Amino acid sequence: MKNKHIHSALFLFLFLWIGISSRAQETLNAFDPNTFILGGGQESTTAVVDLQRIAITDLEPDPATGFSDSTLGMEAGNPFTGTGSPTTGEFWLNFTYRSLNFQNARIFVRVNQPIPSDMTIKVQIINTANINGVYNANPNSNPINLSTSEQIIVYDFASGYTGDGEGTGYLIEYNIINPSALSLPPGFEIIFEIK
Amino acid sequence: MKKLLTLSLILLISSSVLSQILPGTLDVTGMPTFIQSFDEVVKEAGLDDTTVGFESEFDANLVGFVLNPQLLLGSDLVCEANVFRYSVFIHTQNAPANFILEARTSLNSGQRFPQVSTYDNLPLQPLGPRDLTPENGGNYIPVPNDGSQAIKIFEFIGCRTDIPVQFRIKGSALVPAGNSNFQIVYTVVGSLM
Repeated sequence: MKNKHIHSALFLFLFLWIGISSRAQETLNAFDPNTFILGGGQESTTAVVDLQRIAITDLEPDPATGFSDSTLGMEAGNPFTGTGSPTTGEFWLNFTYRSLNFQNARIFVRVNQPIPSDMTIKVQIINTANINGVYNANPNSNPINLSTSEQIIVYDFASGYTGDGEGTGYLIEYNIINPSALSLPPGFEIIFEIK
Repeated sequence: MKKLLTLSLILLISSSVLSQILPGTLDVTGMPTFIQSFDEVVKEAGLDDTTVGFESEFDANLVGFVLNPQLLLGSDLVCEANVFRYSVFIHTQNAPANFILEARTSLNSGQRFPQVSTYDNLPLQPLGPRDLTPENGGNYIPVPNDGSQAIKIFEFIGCRTDIPVQFRIKGSALVPAGNSNFQIVYTVVGSLM
């Protein structure tokens, strides 16, 4: 009885092994001329590939997405829940970058129009993560006081990609200090841009 | 008549089995240029560009293999009288790192050479009909950038010309933008069976 089970297992193993082997793609050592010199042949042709430069970022969760830059639209008054008190939030910055001539890039941040005086908006990279990405994190971890002048939020980096979605890339915290409960102008945006 | 037919078939089969495979010429035409358009670039930040990919024309390369002429016999007559099985393997040389090239052809693509042959009318064809069979059901096959692992993309019976090969390109974001040159190498292996 025991032998019967062993035989059955062996047959099953053999059957599976043959099945797996027969499905494998056939390969050849093309460096060995003996494989093709009689009744065969070998030829090559030149191919050229021309790939585009890529520089895209977006924010997750995804308030807005743009090519070459990302914007965080902020409807006036929307994030503010308490008059005069700071409000904070977090989002993830993802990017995909393919360099031309191995040129490194940076990510800059700015706002598209002046912030009302007596209001301060700061952004700061507080963490980095990598899920299904290939990149070397190089954050500027200092708080950045936003203005219409662009400032570096990610220092030099080479081609790479962060992985997509929340939980990967650069975790950015924004902090709004608005003691006078002012409104942001219509169309106000925070812009992240790879250059 | 029936006996004669049977005898001729036996002779044909035995001659095929005992015969020696003959030299031929592999011909590859086309120098493909794979240009990625703006629309073919990944649109979702964070993803690699391999998630998109783009295709070449269906006939970026044309591959053919015919037997060499012998004395006064042209290639067509030599091919008609000598039908072998050919397996075609492909690999690349000097392709950029993180670059994925895939190749395919379709069932019975290309042209039989010669177009009409007495072999086609044999009641029993030792190697089967002069057809082309793609690997992986005609779906794309990744091309290794390693000649020691050249991969089979199709096989055919008898001489054949103008077999189109189409490519799909998946370049990682890690591959530098701009132009890169590399070689696509075809290796044909003939067999009697």
